[in-house]
Amino acid sequence: MTRMPRFAARHFIAFPIGALVALVWANTQPETYYVFARAWSFPVNDLGMVVFFALVTADIVDAAAPSGALHTWRRMALPIVAAVGGMMGATFAYFAYLRTGDELSVLSRGWPVASAVDLIVGYVLVRAIFRRHAAIPFFLLLGVAADVCGAVVVELLYPVADQHLAGVALIAGGVGIAVALRRAVVTSFWPYVLIAGGFSWWGFFLSGLHPAFALVPIIPFLVAHGQSGSTISHDQGLSRFDRVWSVPSQVGLLLFGLVNAGVMFKDVGTATKAVAIAALAGKPLGMLAAVGVAIACGLHMPRGVGRRELVVVALASSTACSFGLFLATAAMAPGPALAETKAGALVTVGGALLALTTARALRIGRFSPNPAAKRTRHDSARRAVSPRSLAGV
Amino acid sequence: MRIIVVALVAIGSAGVLRGSHPAAQVSAMPEALRFAVIGDNGTGDRFEYEVAHQMVAVRERFPFEMVLMLGDNIYGGQTPKDFVQKFEAPYRPLLEAGVRFYASLGNHDNQSNRFYKPFNMDGERYYTFAKRNVRFFVLDSDYFDDRQRSWINDALRGSRDEWKICYFHHPLYSNGGRHGAQVDLRVMLEPILTRYGVDVVFSGHDHVYERLKPQRGIHYFVSGAAGQVRKGNLRPSDSTAAGFDQDQSFMLVEVAGGTFSFQAISRTGQTVDSGVLQKGSRP
Repeated sequence: MTRMPRFAARHFIAFPIGALVALVWANTQPETYYVFARAWSFPVNDLGMVVFFALVTADIVDAAAPSGALHTWRRMALPIVAAVGGMMGATFAYFAYLRTGDELSVLSRGWPVASAVDLIVGYVLVRAIFRRHAAIPFFLLLGVAADVCGAVVVELLYPVADQHLAGVALIAGGVGIAVALRRAVVTSFWPYVLIAGGFSWWGFFLSGLHPAFALVPIIPFLVAHGQSGSTISHDQGLSRFDRVWSVPSQVGLLLFGLVNAGVMFKDVGTATKAVAIAALAGKPLGMLAAVGVAIACGLHMPRGVGRRELVVVALASSTACSFGLFLATAAMAPGPALAETKAGALVTVGGALLALTTARALRIGRFSPNPAAKRTRHDSARRAVSPRSLAGV
Repeated sequence: MRIIVVALVAIGSAGVLRGSHPAAQVSAMPEALRFAVIGDNGTGDRFEYEVAHQMVAVRERFPFEMVLMLGDNIYGGQTPKDFVQKFEAPYRPLLEAGVRFYASLGNHDNQSNRFYKPFNMDGERYYTFAKRNVRFFVLDSDYFDDRQRSWINDALRGSRDEWKICYFHHPLYSNGGRHGAQVDLRVMLEPILTRYGVDVVFSGHDHVYERLKPQRGIHYFVSGAAGQVRKGNLRPSDSTAAGFDQDQSFMLVEVAGGTFSFQAISRTGQTVDSGVLQKGSRP
């Protein structure tokens, strides 16, 4: 397994455990839960999640390298089109549902939540359905694209605090330090994380952007520095970073689930339904429609991925859970609207059930009655996907 | 008719509420501040009009000068026509008599309604104003962001008024079955309210009337039934002091010096709860 699948497999259990404990706690002892969640919100969401997004960024940069799954635009094109289509479908469905009532004004900020794709839950799901198949990298690429789009939109439209220009200067300073470290062929990642990352974090904080993304502009320099003739290789640089931060990241995701997933069942409301409908119906439909248009325009489906596989991948991507929760807390202020929206992100876990049921009904992947067909697809997928690629499993 | 007026419990022992009050009695103090409180009113249906009619009738003997609106001021469409049907028409006699309305925003209100002149919000989601010896703090509980939290902290800290009254849409304490208490909001807001000595908090959202027993020194009222009512939705608990969930209702309040008198009145004019709070005898 390469880094992204390993990452997903390792972290799969951390978030659900945290989320489950949070749900039970919030619905049995809400007062103590919310005191805890409030006290831990800043260290977990603004500090702890820095590690998680740094690892995700490292994977994206890795995949964009030569032989990576994102290396050429042709490989990227169809998943990105699918991600954009899913985002448009989810957004349309979200607002269409809200327009049937009178809470549009208060809940309008929740639309990016439905566009999010839970890479961890989704990866484990498509892996369980397809085992080894070209549909897996396709899912991961569209998931990454959707989440990057969502994060950018939230950062641009809904800054979390007043904006100060000094913040932009600090971010630029952090990037400058990372460039200088790379030129000096500094082999340890600690100066990148602590010095350049420290500047960047403070800059994000001051500029009103979410500080959890502080290492996103720094990591590319860390990852690339192995290629510039240093004593450590590209893989070694990534692996060392991954190895050191793996356990803290798992702890971070556990705490993230614990701090953010605790919603009371009575908080289910209009935004919950809007997010659920948008994610479970609008997003897959938008995705399928966009892919249909793209194919009509001349793009090609990955080898081994047919219509049935595409439907299952689209449904698997409807699960927003963890990243949906993150976008919710990033886009909305605390209060009832946020609680309703977070409940919606959690409800989208139903997308996993939809995907499994559909895969079974369509008889694909592990539900295929023809083992030879499975093996053929498996082999063709192995040929189509580089072992170094994002999901060359 | 099954009327639930939940027992007026343990109030005497707290030394705060001193028995029930005759309906709509006006104190002799000329400087007393009188106001009405309505929540979740903006339906535009006949029940809202009947409550408004009752308010007009009550004002003959209880001349309140302003009305606090606890959110969900306009349900459904929010066009100019809706503002006429759901606000201006039912309360026209009050508006023409110079009664001023001070609104807070609920989840069914368009955020841009803060620019609607008769709501007297001056374009702000949260604001403060003072009348006589009372300062009111109006919050937007839909989005309790850092900026608002900082604002209410500073505004309360700077207030030297004898009475501090806070109101917003979502209740920090409620035994309404549909929504209940907004515990996450309470964890953030209550420490600020208690630190700076807020006396009374009004909220809506649950379509019932409920008076809570004092919580950490603050008197909480839920009055969210001036338009819709959820009959039988109140689930009285140990924290309930009084409640009414069988008909629409609104509140009348008089603050005269250190005395805060309140009444909850039903759509049909029945007084369903009343009492007096004395400044300085905090529980």
